[in-house]
Amino acid sequence: MNISDVFSYAFGAIKLRKLRAGLTTLGVIIGIAAIVALLSISQGLQITITDQLQTGFATDTLIVSTGGGLGMNPGAMTAVESDFELLVNYTKIIDEIENVEMSTAVIQKLCNLNSTEGELTVTIVGVDFAKYANIYSSTFVAERGETPLDPDNETVVVGKLVSDPGDNGTLLFDVNDAIEIIWTPSLYQVKTYTGHVTAVLKEIGGFGIGPSDFSVYIPISQAQSFFGTDECDQIIVQLENDDKTTIESVSEAIDEAFSDQVSVVSSIAVLDIMSSVFSTVELFLAGIAAISLLVAGIGIMNIMIVSLMERTREIGILKALGMKSRTVLSIFLSEAVIVGLMGAIFGIASGWVLANVVARVFSGGGPFGMSGGNQAATVGGMTITPVLTPTVLIGSLAFGVVISVVFAIYPAWQASRRKPVDALRYE
Amino acid sequence: MTTPIIQTANLRKTYMLGKVPVEALVGVDLRIEKGDFLAILGPSGSGKSTLLNIIGALDKSTDGKVFIEGVDISTLHDNGLADLRRKIGFVFQFFNLIPRLTARGNVELTMAILGLSKKERKKRATELLESVGLKERINHKPAELSGGERQRVAIARALANNPKFLLMDEPTGNIDSKTAHEIMELVNRLNKKRGMTTVVITHDKNIASQAGRIVHMADGLIVQEEVN
Repeated sequence: MNISDVFSYAFGAIKLRKLRAGLTTLGVIIGIAAIVALLSISQGLQITITDQLQTGFATDTLIVSTGGGLGMNPGAMTAVESDFELLVNYTKIIDEIENVEMSTAVIQKLCNLNSTEGELTVTIVGVDFAKYANIYSSTFVAERGETPLDPDNETVVVGKLVSDPGDNGTLLFDVNDAIEIIWTPSLYQVKTYTGHVTAVLKEIGGFGIGPSDFSVYIPISQAQSFFGTDECDQIIVQLENDDKTTIESVSEAIDEAFSDQVSVVSSIAVLDIMSSVFSTVELFLAGIAAISLLVAGIGIMNIMIVSLMERTREIGILKALGMKSRTVLSIFLSEAVIVGLMGAIFGIASGWVLANVVARVFSGGGPFGMSGGNQAATVGGMTITPVLTPTVLIGSLAFGVVISVVFAIYPAWQASRRKPVDALRYE
Repeated sequence: MTTPIIQTANLRKTYMLGKVPVEALVGVDLRIEKGDFLAILGPSGSGKSTLLNIIGALDKSTDGKVFIEGVDISTLHDNGLADLRRKIGFVFQFFNLIPRLTARGNVELTMAILGLSKKERKKRATELLESVGLKERINHKPAELSGGERQRVAIARALANNPKFLLMDEPTGNIDSKTAHEIMELVNRLNKKRGMTTVVITHDKNIASQAGRIVHMADGLIVQEEVN
């Protein structure tokens, strides 16, 4: 019997038991759909986050800070306590290192702003405007006004969401407005800094390293005198190139210069951490989905055993007509292949639909949506576009088929071994 | 003396009915020549079906030998037995048609197993069904056919692989006597015109009387032989 006859015979048998075959297939569909939906969303999310990191964190920069903080969300993460103080003028030491183009210190403190809408807590960032703009040339860009290279003492640059916290066009601070920064270093001490807004940055989004939508920028010399400290939170180092060897050698040199009391974070390290986090998450999600496929597999086996019992007589007839055991086996395995293939195809399709629906729900002002009413699917200001990679596509197709075949092998093998005379006698 | 098409020597078959051994055949010696029309007559439990199943390679003997065209089949394994069954035409009491296939589909199935092309299968199945008088019922499923019609489909199917001999297990046991007569006429015609070696087992003397040779069985033994 040739392969097309085997498949057409198997297909005919499946067609006869439509409901049963449909329910068997449903098990595979659910498992595959879960895998496809989970993986395509998580890959979409990974791409989004990686993109944002790369925009916010130029690959040819290093961030030096005390302790182990990544400094990903300025102000939100506090550095580990240590006696070591990173001073603003340490940039001079770093600038001496080979392959370093320049470095600039950043001072960050949480302060409040008085506005017509009440108090707003923001991160005040003291930076060297010229160097900072040079390093973050794609994100430290003014939407309105200008970010002066040589700022005067009153210069203040605000992030997009400081100017427009509701993201709805109601501006609390705009260019040329006076701005009052209130710093409370201790319970009984309040200091006020006044300046005027010279620029509002364009929207940055996400949690890129470097400039943020929630920050207010003032000249670093002003920050030093206002906060009364020479200690900085980060020194951002611009390298001459983004070769891996350069990144490694400069990182080592900085570590050495400060006797291992600082942490040096490179974009490569951050991306490495992110991708290892994502592979763990993906593995976990795929594991959950695989369990549902396992359940589907057991369902297939169960149904196969029952339906092969019903078809014992048919097996006897086929064998009496001279069909070999291996052909009987291949007929029943073909039925499993058809069920697995159909399940995988419908599973991939419904998984893809599910992934897109979930991405939509995130955007529709749902529980996780940050910018309600926006049409793009956003989580914390990020747009997720589900991604179906060829690996996931082919992998799930193969997985669906393999699962059904594996669980069909035993019952099919048993069926193929039946003696024709016993099979024919079976009532 | 020519080689007989089927020959058994001291054929024995014991099977277990629960824990009790049952001796279905206790030493059967039978010789069937090419072109014979043999009826095996006997009450139920006499071992005639067991004998037919062993000759047809559907079952294995406990002891003794079966020769098909001089070849000892008791030494054959699974695949060899399957190959042998392809050269045998079976007709069963309960028809044993595949319910979801049409009359033609059932006949074609035998040829599909042999690996014949679709075109050839269709042509030959149509011819065979016409020759058994089912020209108008080709596309009907077994459930839409009468008992006699189903048995004709089964005969057409048995002939589809150009068998060396036909083995019929109570072919008229499940149909009315008028139809049974027609079926036996068809079998007779096949034997006379095509020289088809045919073995029919039955407990009906009228059916047996149409055969050229009648073998009587009782308690697993051949007890009497007569020639018509």
